[in-house]
Amino acid sequence: MHEYSLASAIVEQVRKIAQEHNASKVKTIIVSADPYEMVIPDLLKEAYGIITDEHELFKDSKLELIILPAEIICIDCDHKGEPSMEGDEEFAYNFRCAKCGSRDTHLNIRHLTIETVDLEIPE
Amino acid sequence: MTQEKKITVKKQAYLVNDEIADKIRRLMKEKNKLFFNIMGSIGAGKTLLLERITEKLSAHYKIFVINGDVATTIDADRIAAQGATTVQINTGGGCHLNANLIQKELDKINIDDYDIFFAENVGNLICPSAWDVGAQMNIVVVSITEGEYVIKKHPIIFKGAEIAVINKCDLDGLGFDSDILVEDASKIKSDMEVICTSAKTSLGLEALIEALGIQLP
Repeated sequence: MHEYSLASAIVEQVRKIAQEHNASKVKTIIVSADPYEMVIPDLLKEAYGIITDEHELFKDSKLELIILPAEIICIDCDHKGEPSMEGDEEFAYNFRCAKCGSRDTHLNIRHLTIETVDLEIPE
Repeated sequence: MTQEKKITVKKQAYLVNDEIADKIRRLMKEKNKLFFNIMGSIGAGKTLLLERITEKLSAHYKIFVINGDVATTIDADRIAAQGATTVQINTGGGCHLNANLIQKELDKINIDDYDIFFAENVGNLICPSAWDVGAQMNIVVVSITEGEYVIKKHPIIFKGAEIAVINKCDLDGLGFDSDILVEDASKIKSDMEVICTSAKTSLGLEALIEALGIQLP
């Protein structure tokens, strides 16, 4: 259950951003993650709610998670992009290269990224 | 009156952790030190392997081990008895170590007093893979008693590892089969080194030490 650590890291960064912009409220945070990042969206949102519960800056704020399409890097032909199929009969996450068909591919996991933050700023 | 403003951030949630991890890695490289992150499930034999490694190396190298566990100092005490300096991090409910926890322990010592550093991560095949601790190499330890599907079920941690250690190979043929795990590990990441060991009998220990790039005089 590392979603709590991730939610803490998000809150810590957003708090700094809000301070830099003299914001009075954080409204919405949009984060993106790879499908194989091992983040459980509901747990992440729950952890975010627990962490921000007593923070006035984050009161009534929303955390939205966008799941990106999977991306692989082919060891044989260097192709980078979406795999030709999801999953493998033998190995989960060992995807076939869409260009050359090789199974010798690495997942290019895009780690949880804070995309945008909507802030309320006093005029 | 207030106005709403959308800020484009495009920064990883792991940013702070990864910056600390990079700093640790740079420092270790500058000072010509080795730092390894040992991951694996509970009972895979991480601690006994570190005891054996320490026993073998402590006459030649100064070793510092950071042990991560939810509770107790059992692992740190066991490894310290073999000649390493150890520190136990109790994570409470935490399921993994992170770079900040490692940095805090490194801040308490003089890095120049040691040659080789190990982090023994919390027993878990999921969460530790996501958190860079600043090591130069990630090593995953699995034992053949964990079942023949243990690698297939936990692919991500192996994809981020430089070495897979298949432990408890002294039990090979006694209802357990190391070949399946060796084959799975070799297939899951083609450039990962796979080493069969038995921490109990020291089988494969020298091969592991060599794979870590440690010279035995």
